[in-house]
Amino acid sequence: MISDRRENRVQGSYLKVDSRFPFCKGCGHHHITHAIDEALVKLNLDPRNVCITSDIGCVGLVDSLFESVHTFHTTHGRSTAFATGVELADSVLSDSKLKNVVVIGDGGAMIGLLHLVSAAQLNVDVTVVLYNNFLFGMTGGQNSSFSPMDFITATTPRGNIIPPIDIISVLDGAHGGFLARKTATDDDLAETIAVAINYPGFALVEVLELCTEYALRGNSIRGNKLAEVSPGKIMELGVISRRDERTDFGVAYRDKFPRRPSETNSRFIVPSASKIVNKRTGFIIAGTAGERVQFSAHMLVQAAVSCGANATQKNDNPVTQGSGFSISEVVLSGEEIYYTGIDTPDVVIVASYEGLAELKAQGVFDRTVAGTLIVADESLDLPNCEGRFLKIPLRRDYTPAGAAFGGLLAAVKTTGVLPLEIFKEVCAGQKNSASLIKMIEKVSGLS
Amino acid sequence: MIAEGAIAAGCRFFAGYPITPASGIYKSMIDELPKVGDIAISSPDEISALAFCVGASQRGFKAMTATSGPGFSLMIETLQYAVMTETPVVIALVQRLGPSTGGATQGGQGDALLVGHSIAGGYTLPVFSPSNPAEAFELTTHAFNVAEEFRTPVVLLTDKEVAMTFENIDYDRLRCSEPMFRKYFASSVDRGFRNYFFENRKDVPEFSPVGGDCKVTITGSAHDMSGKLQKNSAETIEVLKHLQEKISCNTPGMIAVDEDLQEGADSVIMSYGISARTCKEAVRAMRRRGERISFLNLQTLFPLPVQEIRNACGSAKKVIFVEENMTGLYKGELAGILNGKNVVAVNDVGKMITPAAIEDAAVEQAGGTA
Repeated sequence: MISDRRENRVQGSYLKVDSRFPFCKGCGHHHITHAIDEALVKLNLDPRNVCITSDIGCVGLVDSLFESVHTFHTTHGRSTAFATGVELADSVLSDSKLKNVVVIGDGGAMIGLLHLVSAAQLNVDVTVVLYNNFLFGMTGGQNSSFSPMDFITATTPRGNIIPPIDIISVLDGAHGGFLARKTATDDDLAETIAVAINYPGFALVEVLELCTEYALRGNSIRGNKLAEVSPGKIMELGVISRRDERTDFGVAYRDKFPRRPSETNSRFIVPSASKIVNKRTGFIIAGTAGERVQFSAHMLVQAAVSCGANATQKNDNPVTQGSGFSISEVVLSGEEIYYTGIDTPDVVIVASYEGLAELKAQGVFDRTVAGTLIVADESLDLPNCEGRFLKIPLRRDYTPAGAAFGGLLAAVKTTGVLPLEIFKEVCAGQKNSASLIKMIEKVSGLS
Repeated sequence: MIAEGAIAAGCRFFAGYPITPASGIYKSMIDELPKVGDIAISSPDEISALAFCVGASQRGFKAMTATSGPGFSLMIETLQYAVMTETPVVIALVQRLGPSTGGATQGGQGDALLVGHSIAGGYTLPVFSPSNPAEAFELTTHAFNVAEEFRTPVVLLTDKEVAMTFENIDYDRLRCSEPMFRKYFASSVDRGFRNYFFENRKDVPEFSPVGGDCKVTITGSAHDMSGKLQKNSAETIEVLKHLQEKISCNTPGMIAVDEDLQEGADSVIMSYGISARTCKEAVRAMRRRGERISFLNLQTLFPLPVQEIRNACGSAKKVIFVEENMTGLYKGELAGILNGKNVVAVNDVGKMITPAAIEDAAVEQAGGTA
C-alpha cells in the first residue's frame, strides 16, 4: 500500500517517522490520529497547505506528532476559534490555500461549544475531528457533558444521571455543512475524515472511543457498543448531514466585499477664520430620547466648528437607547478644550419632562448661576434656581420632535454666541433640511 | 479615531463583539474595512474575538479587537496565549464604570492595573493610554508598531469619555508613524526556521506565517525555541526570560509621553487618559494666575516610563496624581520611583474629576508619601 503511494509520488505519511505516540495502550487516540494522517495522504495535500490546530488534554499532544504540516497548539476549548481566525484571514485576505484541521476532545468541545456553533454557522473551511472518549482523561477521569447515562467516572461514582449532549444535533441546528459520527475502529474512518477535509466549509467528525485508563473500570460499555449512550438509545453513526448548498464563508465574503482600492473620505469641515466664539460656553440640552436632542447638539457643534471655534459633545442616556431621557453637553471655545465637562452651565435647554427630571437628578439646577440662560418648554415646572428664564411653547410650536432644536435656536439667538445663519448652512446637508431651515427662519423672525 | 489610526497602521482584520462604550470602534471598522475587501467580522463572544485576531495574525495580518472591562476579563486567557506565542495583536479597551456590569454609559479609569498585571508570571504587557482624539490616532499607530516590532499583544487603554466624546480635530496636525511590519524569516539563510529562535534574550524572533513556506509550530505551552513543548529545560527557561526581556530591554523605543514641564516648579501633576485632559485645563488656569507647575501625561502606562517620570519630577517636592478610580491604582506603581516625594492623590468614581478638584489638591499640603 505504502509503496503504491510512493510510486505515485504521494507523500507516505505526514507523521514524524521516529515519533512514539504518547497515548496509553489501547487508547482510541492511536486510531483516530492515524486516520487523520491517512486522510491527508489520500488527499495528497501539500503539507505547507495544512494546519493542524489542537486543543488541550491528551488530544493536545496530537499536533506534535505531525512532521511537516503547520501546527497550532492552543487553549482549552478555544482551538476552533483560533483556527477560524486563521481560515478567515486565509480565505479572504490571502490565497485561500489552507486546509484547517482541528483536533479537540469532548471536554474541549463542551467548554468551547460556542466556537463550534460559530464556525458551523459561518461555514468556514475548518474540519473538526472530535475525539470523544466520554470523559476528561488527562485530569483524572472526570465525567464530561458527553458521558453516557450510568457511566462510572471519578466524578460520577454511582453512575451518570445526565444524558449526554448530541453534538451532531446541536451543530445541525447551526447549519453545520458536513456532520458525521464514527467509532475509532471503523475501517472507513480515514475515508470519512478525508471527505470532511475536502468539503468546502465547516465539517465535524465525532469519533467515539474509550479511555483505557479510566473508562474500562466499572463500566460495561465496550468498543463495539460505543454508540449505545443510554439504555435503548443508540446514536446514529455515519455521515448524518451534508449541505452542499451552503457557500464557504470566504467565497461569500469576497463576493459581497471584493477587493477594491481605498477611496479618500473627505467629509471635512473647513472652518472660517472668523473665530467668533472666544469665551468658553457650555450648553446642556435635555429632552426625551428619540426627540433629536443629540442631533441638535451635533448641529450646534458643526455650526461652531464652521465658525472657527472648537467644540466637544458628550451624550448621556439611560442604558436603553430609544426611551427615557436624552442629554447632550456641548462646550464651545475659541481655545483648545481640555476639560469636556460643564461645571457651571451657560445655557440649559429643557425640551421635555423626562429631560427636566434627569437634570434635577443630576443636580444641574444647583450649578446654574445668575447668568445662566434656561430655555424651557412652557408646560414645565422649573425648580427654584439662579438664571435667566425663557419659557416658550417649544413642543407646540416646533412639535415634540423639534422641541430641542427649537429651544437651541432660541438660546443661540438670545445669547448671540453664533449667528443663526450658520445653522442654515450646516442643516442644508441634512435629510429633512427644508423643515429645519423653516424652523431657523421662524426663530430669526421672532423678536 | 482609534479605528482611523488602526487603518492607517495597516490593520486588515477586526473581530468585534458589542459592548458599550467600545461599540463605536467596532461599528467604524465594520463600515470601513470591507470597503477595500478587508475583514471586519462579528464574533459570538469576546474570547472568540481575540482568538480570531490571534489566528489572523499568525496567518500574517495585522489584527485588532475592541472591548470594555467585562469583555476584557473574558479575553485574558487568550491575551496570555498571545504573549506566550509572541503574536502581534492590538486590543482597544474602552473603560467604563466598574465593578461587574457597572455603568455601561458612565466613564471610569479602573482597569489600569488589571491590564498592566494581566499576564501570569509577571510579564510586561505594553499599555498606551490616549487622552484625546489626536492621541487616539497617534497612539493607535504606535501600538500597532510596537506589537509588530516586538511580536507582542498591546493594549490601548482609553475610556468612555475619550472614545465617545464628539469633537473637532485638525487633520493637518495629526502625526502618523510610518507603519512597521514584523520581521519575516528569510528562507535563504542556511539555518532552518524555528518559531521562537533568538540569539540574545532581548531579540525578537523572526516570523513566518501559518500557510507560508516554513513549517510553523505554535504553542501556548512552555516550549523551546522550536516550539516543542517542554517543562523546564534550560532552553525553555531561556525562552521564558526572553519573553520579558524583549520588552524590558527595549523599553526606550516604546515609551511615549506628553511632557509640559516648567523649570523650578514645586509641584508636578501626573495623569493619563481622560483625567489628563482635565489636568491640562487646571494647569492652564494655574499658570494664568502665575503659578509654576509641571505636567506629565503618561501616554505609556506599561512598561513604566521610569526615566520620564523621574525627569518630570526634577526638584519638585510634590506630585499630584489624578485618575478616575476608587483608590488611585496607578499611583501605587510610582512607589519605587518617587522615593520620598509627597504624593497627593486626586480620585473619584462615577463622574469626571473637575479642574477645580485638581487645583485644590495643588494648593493644599501634601497628604502622604509614595
